This record gives sequence, structure tokens and C-alpha cells, in this order.
Amino acid sequence: MIGEISHFLSLSAVLLLSLVLIFNLFFFFSKIHPNQLTLSMRLFNQACWLVFISFGMYVYLAISDDFSIAYIANHSNSQLPIFYKITSIWSAHEGSMFLWIVFLTAWSILFINSLNNNHPLKKFTLLMLSLIILGFLLFLLLTSNPFERILPFGAVEGADINPVLQDPALAIHPPMLYLGYVGFVISFSFITAYLLNGNFELQWEQDIKNWSLVAWIFLTIGIALGSWWAYYELGWGGYWFWDPVENVALMPWLAATAFMHSLFASSKSNVLKTWTMFLGILIFALSLFGAFIVRSGIIDSVHSFANDPERGLYLLSFSGLITLFALTIFAYRLPALNSSKLVVTGSKESFLSMNNILMITSIFSIFLGVTYPLIIESINGDKVSIGPPYYNTIFAPLILIAAIFIMISVDALWQRSMPLRRFFTAIAVPVTLSLISMYLIWWTTSVFSILAYIGIFSGLLILFSYLLRVINNLFNKKFINKGSAIAHTGLGLLFFAVSMNSILSYEKNLNLAPGQSILVDKSVQEFSFNDIRVIKASNHDVISAKVSLLQDGREISLNPQKRKYTTRGQITSESSIHATFLKDTYLTIGDQLENGSWTFSLKINYFIKWIWFSAALMVLGMLLTIFKKKVS
Amino acid sequence: MNQLLRFLIVLLPIVVLIFFGKILLVDEDIKFSNFNSKIFPEFQLNDLDGNPVQSGSLNGVKILNVWASWCITCLVEHPFLTRLSEQNIQIIGLNYKDSDLKANAWLKKHGNPYLFSIYDPRGDLAFDLGVTGAPESYLIVNNQVVGHIQGEMNQRKWETIFLPLIQKAKQGS
Repeated sequence: MIGEISHFLSLSAVLLLSLVLIFNLFFFFSKIHPNQLTLSMRLFNQACWLVFISFGMYVYLAISDDFSIAYIANHSNSQLPIFYKITSIWSAHEGSMFLWIVFLTAWSILFINSLNNNHPLKKFTLLMLSLIILGFLLFLLLTSNPFERILPFGAVEGADINPVLQDPALAIHPPMLYLGYVGFVISFSFITAYLLNGNFELQWEQDIKNWSLVAWIFLTIGIALGSWWAYYELGWGGYWFWDPVENVALMPWLAATAFMHSLFASSKSNVLKTWTMFLGILIFALSLFGAFIVRSGIIDSVHSFANDPERGLYLLSFSGLITLFALTIFAYRLPALNSSKLVVTGSKESFLSMNNILMITSIFSIFLGVTYPLIIESINGDKVSIGPPYYNTIFAPLILIAAIFIMISVDALWQRSMPLRRFFTAIAVPVTLSLISMYLIWWTTSVFSILAYIGIFSGLLILFSYLLRVINNLFNKKFINKGSAIAHTGLGLLFFAVSMNSILSYEKNLNLAPGQSILVDKSVQEFSFNDIRVIKASNHDVISAKVSLLQDGREISLNPQKRKYTTRGQITSESSIHATFLKDTYLTIGDQLENGSWTFSLKINYFIKWIWFSAALMVLGMLLTIFKKKVS
Repeated sequence: MNQLLRFLIVLLPIVVLIFFGKILLVDEDIKFSNFNSKIFPEFQLNDLDGNPVQSGSLNGVKILNVWASWCITCLVEHPFLTRLSEQNIQIIGLNYKDSDLKANAWLKKHGNPYLFSIYDPRGDLAFDLGVTGAPESYLIVNNQVVGHIQGEMNQRKWETIFLPLIQKAKQGS
């Protein structure tokens, strides 16, 4: 019964949103009715609340084990702790789409109510938001209905959550990512409304600045958490795989980052306005593209949901239409928009506009990487795969150029060109320091790889320029933008950590029988396989190995496991990690060989924790920026 | 320049849309037929009546359907499988992680579209096959697994995935 009510509430939301649209279209050509906006707002708010209540009831259904609902029966189980009963809702397509819509609705209702009724863009923004929510609600109910019942009899027991997803990280990674993705519906709708409205005297940047900053923070946290989860919990042994689904999350992130920079420039000195608008539209378009790639199953990936062309077709046409709508208006209004001031070469804005071009190039390269296998397969049926070598080669030079621009722009001024002498003093010190440090790195590690050293150099350039700025700030009282400094230090650290990781990390595959011990290399002097045991747990069997290492003169004990889940028969690998400041020792147990020995994969990962630390710095920097804006 | 830029801003997304539309609508069949065929894994199991399954029983064109009495979607696809068996399509069941008592009762209650069902209570054969859950269906031609459908079998999947493969197999032999 509750299932039907919940279903009914979602359907009512569809009805109310359609009413908002029909009602406004009806009055579009006639004189504006005085209560038009008030009434639309009331309908819209009610529709949003219906979606929330409907989702709340759905959560209740999941907690109370209503296995007559097909989705819950297929993804939950009565034995699960309540926590996982709730997270199981977003462990597959239908439920996660529901969550996606709930977040979409939440952002929309918060934003639209923050605008006062006289705001000239409120009406069009409301219409755009209604249209988008309506489109996705219909997608949910028509092609992926989470409320579907199993008739006439429900299941007695649920099929259980995918064991890989029985992890606390599932509770946060998808929601964070979705909050980020859909948060940009605000900039998308608002910019589209601005273009529809046609009064270009209006200042619009401030209205969406903080909203977009918050969405950016969620997106960054979501991506970083996904990478952290893959490394620590899923036992993939790495932090980034250039998997298509990671790529489609990275594209909106890059667009969003460019958008934020561009937004700072356009709200500060009235330049790059068209860029900002274009990027604002692009972020959400790329988010929708990501949803399409993941949910149509068009590309094989670790994340993809079951293949269903019907869903793919709906998503493609709906997201395609609204994106095309926004871009067409943008193109139509472009001549009128070109009134913003020209950028002075050598000013801070000029570097920001370079940044936009670099970001667009990166996005396009990733887009090509994602679609290239499809293009080839579609032309002659060959299967090709684009892997890390492609992305590494493309990104190394882009990163270097970006780093150089960041370095120079640290000392650049708003709206004014930079004197040549100042330019040279600005770059001399970081470049010299970076070259010396690179030589030291090469001298201590004696490893060389051109791409990695480009990355290291880029990272160091950024780090040293900001270090210099901080010193200047302390001793000469020069101004420093704290948020920007922290975020860019994070970026520099990221480049540095990723590149160092790529040259220093290594992997050894070992074969040992219980009781044996061997010498691995200079660092891991002794690897002893002490014991292996089979343990029965409630819903899985565990094979647990005890290994002790003598690493760099210290004794470490590791405990890698393999689990076989009884309900689904799935086997998962639980790696065991010993972490120190510089490196992680990462051990996974493989299969048993015929002679009774076991295979192990020992990975030594350098600077890996620094990667997430640098993401945390970027988030912190953005948070400071929001905070600062609120004070002034 | 500006004219061209405006034109491109609209044209590029349209090209992308058409491209993905084409993949979804036209290339779908190609995509599915790219399943890498492999030899059916060896096994020693009984059927639901307790008789050992003969290895020769997987010759010819057969559908192997993974099912269980606890599986809800299996009940959903059951009428369709029954219709297939009425059209003389040979379907073998793989009873997955179930008890023979419950499974036999289930067949008795809902009807039995299978020639016989392999009884795999621990999921050993299913594991070797790469089954992720019930229901799943495999197309087997002379001991070779040539096609795979995850989830519910229905008219659309049958027509777009298995039928072309069966026709191809018949032409080949």
C-alpha cells in the first residue's frame, strides 16, 4: 500500500509540473496574469515536496523489507543492517536515478526560493527547472520504474546487495557525486533564463556564484571519494583508471573548474561573459552526457548498469533536446552578448581565458578518448581500446602549459598588463627551484620518464610560486588570496604526487606456500607467508592469509583476504595495506596453484595518500572562497 | 567568423546526438553479437530427478536458462519460456543455488518448459559459466556458448539477440 502511495505521489508531482508548464505556456503570449508567478511557484514547491515525501516512503519500504517491490527484492535482503538497506536503494539503476532526481529537486527548490519574486529571471528559471525535473521524473516512471510490484506474490527474501557495494563508501560516494552533477542544473537553468530574457544589462554572476561553488565542492569530493574507494576498498590497486565512467565524471569537473575561474573574472571585471555562459551550459550538458553513457550501457565499464537501449534512447533524446535548446539560444544571442570588455594581454584575465582554452582542449581530448572506440567500432566493427598511454601523452603538455600560466598569473594584476621585468622576476625563482629539485629527484631515484618529469616540473612550478607568494605575504605584507592559494597548492601537489607515483611505484607477483619466506628486493628484505585459514562468516566465506614483511628494517604484518559471498557466489578481494608517510604497501592474495602455493600481488605505491590530500586542499580552498565572499 | 561559430555551436551537438542515436538504433545488434564464444565448461552434476547429466546433451542448438525457485524475475519470464518450448525450442534449466524439493515443487506449480534441469545447489557450474545471478540465459550451439542474456528473457531480447545467432549457426552448419 505504501508503495502505491509513494508511486502515486511521484505521479502527482509529474502532473503538477506539467501544470506549471502548460499554465505558463498558455499565458506566454497573453498579458501576464498578476498571480501567474505566485501560482506557478506554489505548484512547483508542492511538486518538489511530493518528490521528497515519495522518496522518504521509498526509504521506509526498503527499511521494512517490502520484497513485493521488484527493485528492493533484487537489491536488498532482510539480513542486511538498516544502513545497507538504505544504501541499497542507490546500488543500481532505478533507485540511483530516483536519488538523482531527489537531489535535482532539492537544488531546484532551494535555489528558486532564494530568488525574490521580482527577480526578472525567476519565471524562466522556474520553467527550465520544471521542464528538467519533469523530463527525468518521466524517464524514471516510464523506463525504470522503481515502484514496480512483483505480482501476484512478492518475494519472501531479497537477492542481496552486490557485495562490492557493501561498503560505507557507497553511502557517500554516489550521493556526493550526484549532488555535484545535478547542482549545475542551477547555472544551466539560470543562464538559459538569462539568454531567454534578453536583457543583457543585468548582472547575473553573483546570483549563482556560491551555488556553483558548492556544487563544485560536491563534485570534487565525489570524484575523490570514488578514487579512494576503488583503491582502499575495492582492491583495484590504483587510484585512477581512465575508465569511461571516470572520464565522464572528469569532463563536467573540468568544465566546472573552468566555469568557476571564468565566473570570477566576469564578476570582477566584466570580461569573458560569453565564455562563462557557454561553460555554465556545458557543465550540465556534460553531466547529462555522463548519465547517458552510464545508464544506456553503450560503453562497457565497471560502472555501467544493465544494457537497455530504450533508456538510452530516452536519455539521449531528452538531454540532447534541452542541451540543444540552450545552445541554440546561446548561438542566437551571441552577437548581442559580445559587448563585454576586451581582455588586456598579460592581465590576470588573459591567463584565465587561456585556462578556459586549456580546459576545453582537455575536455575535448577526453571526449575523443571516450568516443573513439565507438566511432571505430561503428565504422568497421573493430574493437579498439584507448587507455592510459593516450591520456598521459595528451595531458602532460597540457598540464605543463597550465602550470606555467598559473605560475605567471600568481603575480599578474586584474585588468592591467604586467611589466616585462616583473614577469621575469616572477618566473625566475620558481623555475630555478623546480629545476634544482628535479635534478635532486633524478639523482636520488635515478629513474627517468619524460612524461612524469613534465608532471613533476609542472607541480613544482605551482608549488614554488605559491610558496614564494606566501613568503612575500609574511615579510612584505603583499596581498594573498588564501582560497586560491590553497586550492592551487592542492593542484600543484596533485601533479607532483601523481607523477612521482607513476615513476616510483612498482608491483611484484609472488608465489609462496604457507610457511615459506623469500627476499623480494632491497626495500622488502623478507616476505614470509605464515598461515592461511578459512573462516565462515554470516553471509560469506573468508580465506584469510597472514603475511609478515621486513620492510626498510621494520616488521609489518599484513592480512589480505578473499571472500566468497554465499547468496550471489561473487568473489571479492580484500587487500591489506600498510601505509606510511611516503608510500603504501598494498598486498592482495590471488589464487591457489596446483602445487599448493598461493599467488600474491605486492604493490608499493608512492605518494598515493598525497593525491587525496591534494583534493582535500582544493576543496578547502573553494570553501574559503565561499566564506570570504559571504563576509564582504 | 562569428557566423561560423554560431553555426558550429549548434551543429556539433547535433552531430554528437546523431552519432549516439545511430549507435543505439543501428549498431545495437552488432554489439550484442560480439559476445566471445567459449567452450561450455566441464561439469559433473545431476539433474533435478537425481540422474547424472550426459555430456552429449549440449549438442545441437540449446538454450540454457539459469533459474531458481527463489528468483522472482524467473517467474516473470516463465510464460515466455513456456511459449518458446511450445515452439520446439530446446531449453535446459540450470537450477541455481536452490533445493531440489523447492525447485521440483516450483516446476510442478508453474509448469516445466525445460527438457531437464541441471541441479547446481552450490553454484559451481554457474560460477564457471560466469553467472552473476538468476535469471540468465545462454545460447549453446554444439557445446559452445555463443550468446548471453542477463536478466529477464522476453520477446524483444529473443528476437534481437538469440534469433540472429541461431540463424547464423544454422547457416554455418
